[in-house]
Amino acid sequence: MYYANNFKPLLILVILMTTSLFAQDDFFTPKTGVGGYGELHYNNNTFDTKKAEKKLDFHRFVLFFSHSFSEKWSFKAELELEHNFVSGGNGEVELEQAYVSYLPYNWLGFRAGVVLAPVGIINEIHEPPTFFGVERPDYHNAIIPTTWYGNGASVFGNYKGLEYTLNVMEGLNSEKFSPASALRSGRRKGYLADATDLMYTLRLDYNISSAFKAGASATYNKARGDSSTIEFNLVELHAKYSKNGLYAVAEGAMINYNRGSVETSTGYYFDLGYDINRFIKSDWQIIPFVRYSFYNTASTVRNTNLKPDDFAYTQIMVGLNILPLDNIVLKVDFSSKKRKSNDEETKSFNLGVGYMF
Amino acid sequence: MTAKIITITFVIAISCLWNQTRGQEIKELTESIIRSEMGKGVSIKQEKYTIPAKAKKNAESASKQKFANDFIYIYTVSNKGKVTSYGLLDNVYGKAMPITFLVLFDTKGNILSSHIVKYREQYGGEVADKGWNKQFKGKNKDSDYTVGKAIDSISGATISANSVSKGIKKLAVLFHEIF
Repeated sequence: MYYANNFKPLLILVILMTTSLFAQDDFFTPKTGVGGYGELHYNNNTFDTKKAEKKLDFHRFVLFFSHSFSEKWSFKAELELEHNFVSGGNGEVELEQAYVSYLPYNWLGFRAGVVLAPVGIINEIHEPPTFFGVERPDYHNAIIPTTWYGNGASVFGNYKGLEYTLNVMEGLNSEKFSPASALRSGRRKGYLADATDLMYTLRLDYNISSAFKAGASATYNKARGDSSTIEFNLVELHAKYSKNGLYAVAEGAMINYNRGSVETSTGYYFDLGYDINRFIKSDWQIIPFVRYSFYNTASTVRNTNLKPDDFAYTQIMVGLNILPLDNIVLKVDFSSKKRKSNDEETKSFNLGVGYMF
Repeated sequence: MTAKIITITFVIAISCLWNQTRGQEIKELTESIIRSEMGKGVSIKQEKYTIPAKAKKNAESASKQKFANDFIYIYTVSNKGKVTSYGLLDNVYGKAMPITFLVLFDTKGNILSSHIVKYREQYGGEVADKGWNKQFKGKNKDSDYTVGKAIDSISGATISANSVSKGIKKLAVLFHEIF
């Protein structure tokens, strides 16, 4: 009798669990998903008075894998092949994301694995139809080293339009920092990454309305090399607006280094686009845009042999993003980039086709 | 006796927790949305509806989006015995997780309102914005749902906005097919 009484509550528990499981199954079924994106580029660059350099590059081929185990537990991965072929240091295979995520509440979630640094607009959301121009903005190469990923974990959430993320991941290799490319070569890309000094990023975004989102992030890391360390912090601001066919993007950042030849790196850009499909009764989105961009990877220096103007560039770009469907984009852009120290000009003409699904 | 009390307490605690986290949250949320839109006194009948193959195909080809499941939920809303509206509850996929959404139609298939019942990812949650959802009011199977043209795009929720907009169109076409 004792056992029978003791098992009654367990029986109730089993019934309760089964009932709610059935109820839940109606709205949620665990599912494995496959997605991806890719982009083919034609680049025609003319450096100063030299002959044009022309290239056809299937820049990125990416596969997404995702699985939802339950309403709250999910997995996501992004596997990328860059430049179509990998051999002897050319081309790259990268696991840019692979994390388990637990989201018990909208205002509190966790994830761990290979994660993206939550810095700027394009690092986390970089599918070709989501940004202007064939290549990602130079700012997202020189100042924000996209795609910036590594092993780590985040706590995140969304409360009444305020989004917040605290990300902790592997730090950078300070010995690879350079006046010409700032942090970029210091990324360890999750390869047996040193975990002595982790990198911390706090990011906040606010959805002022569905049309206007603005945010900021601050990153700190005591970056380690084999024989020296450089502490750096990166502070950036970003905003995106889209309504009635008007698209505007603005981003800016500053990196401070506590030692080394470079003291600060800075950069910013603005995009302005307008969808003209409303005038020509087209189902296709046809968005001409302009971009103004400035960056200097060594805007102030400690090493007096370095001249900051040698690393300062301004760029003006005009282009067109055409989206026959919202997941397919055809791109064209023309730009002129000038080096401040000697007015050396790079003229570029790019064509691109990209997709995501 | 002590063991029994502990067991019972444990069972109750676990059950409460289980139900809180995995319970009939979606059904309750859906019904509360319907009541706040259509009035507290309305009676609501819920039905799990298997979508007929032909209707499914037509809705999918018109919206350029597949159904996540072979079924949807139909809520028949009536007031004093007369049907006033229908609520169609379905899932679309964001980047990886389903987005559960509800579209309320009048009896002729015009949209009264649309609502995100549950969003399950970190980014793109702005599709739940009430102002953005108001744009679907009055639309029907023949309307334009193109994001960036007839429907404003959302800064920071490009993928979810496209997905939800197609999902709403799909239900508007389906409504016409099945009623």
